[in-house]
Amino acid sequence: MTTTTQPEKVVVKKNFDQVAWTWMRYSAFLLIPLAWGHIILQDVVVGVHNITTDYAINRMANMGWKIYDIALLGFAFAHGMNGVRQVFRDYIHKPETFRLVSIILLVVWFLITLVGAIALLAIQPVVS
Amino acid sequence: MQIKLRVFRFDPERDQKPRFDTFMMDVDPNDRVLDLLEYVKADFDSTLALRRSCAHGVCGSDAMRVNGRNYLACKVLVKNLGTDQITVEPILGLKVIKDLIVDMKPFFDHYRSVLPYLINDDPLPADGKERLQSPEQQLRFEDTTKCILCAACTTSCPSFWSDANYVGPAAIVNAHRFIFDSRDKAGGKRLNILNEQFGVWRCRTAFNCTEACPRDIHITQAIAEVKRAVNTGRIE
Repeated sequence: MTTTTQPEKVVVKKNFDQVAWTWMRYSAFLLIPLAWGHIILQDVVVGVHNITTDYAINRMANMGWKIYDIALLGFAFAHGMNGVRQVFRDYIHKPETFRLVSIILLVVWFLITLVGAIALLAIQPVVS
Repeated sequence: MQIKLRVFRFDPERDQKPRFDTFMMDVDPNDRVLDLLEYVKADFDSTLALRRSCAHGVCGSDAMRVNGRNYLACKVLVKNLGTDQITVEPILGLKVIKDLIVDMKPFFDHYRSVLPYLINDDPLPADGKERLQSPEQQLRFEDTTKCILCAACTTSCPSFWSDANYVGPAAIVNAHRFIFDSRDKAGGKRLNILNEQFGVWRCRTAFNCTEACPRDIHITQAIAEVKRAVNTGRIE
């Protein structure tokens, strides 16, 4: 009697939709600690009324926070752009056009994240 | 009880646009929506076109929208609708041929695209008879064997409404039925088909399909299992 219980391994060719779908899930998992960490720190621990220029200068002087903010920007924006891509998918039915739109969204995500990262890294505040 | 029945009518060869015909009728609360349509055909308008065959929820011919939700007309009772105003329309996303009859060809094309049949070119077992499997192995795909291809799931899916190229939940359910069958050897082939642009990734987990299924198949779960198998390359 055939009672094999070992999982069968098969080769499934990677495809962009699969990567995008998986990315949407993992980027959301990363967003939860990043976004909630940001909200809890700024709105609860520090408090919105205590966010002053001095606070921002001190925060931006710390490379760790710069990396945190760049990661938050990159993941949140990628998650959002991937969502926009899914919305476009409902209206663009021609595969070639949809591929072009996907590439444009990817380039926009990359450029905006790059500009944000450069801006954050370029800030060298003098802590008094 | 007296009800007001509104029925979608459209004959593309005669009508410029669809209309609704209204029928006031005395019915038994235990009557099915299919019974009401039969009353219309018998007593009011014999030109009403609809598909039905077994009338007992097995053949899957009479999927239609009743008060905005997909049902088999033969499985929904008047009393369970909770209203005396009943509107019957054809299922969405497929071209109307006449009244409540839609063109099912695109649906069956998607069904065929996932190879919905047992594929195993290995030599037969020593006894030359059956490829046996354990009850546990059979249970792995038991749920998806219940599909009757009524299209209630696929035509309730927003992704299918927006793009008819999407294979749809019914095709994925029928692929699941063979992918997870221990006797089948073409799981990888089906997973590759479903990993294409109009495959499983078009599913947005809306759960409409699960809600619409007259056989209570856990369709969204089956689709999630197929997605996992595509991602991991493991059929377990």
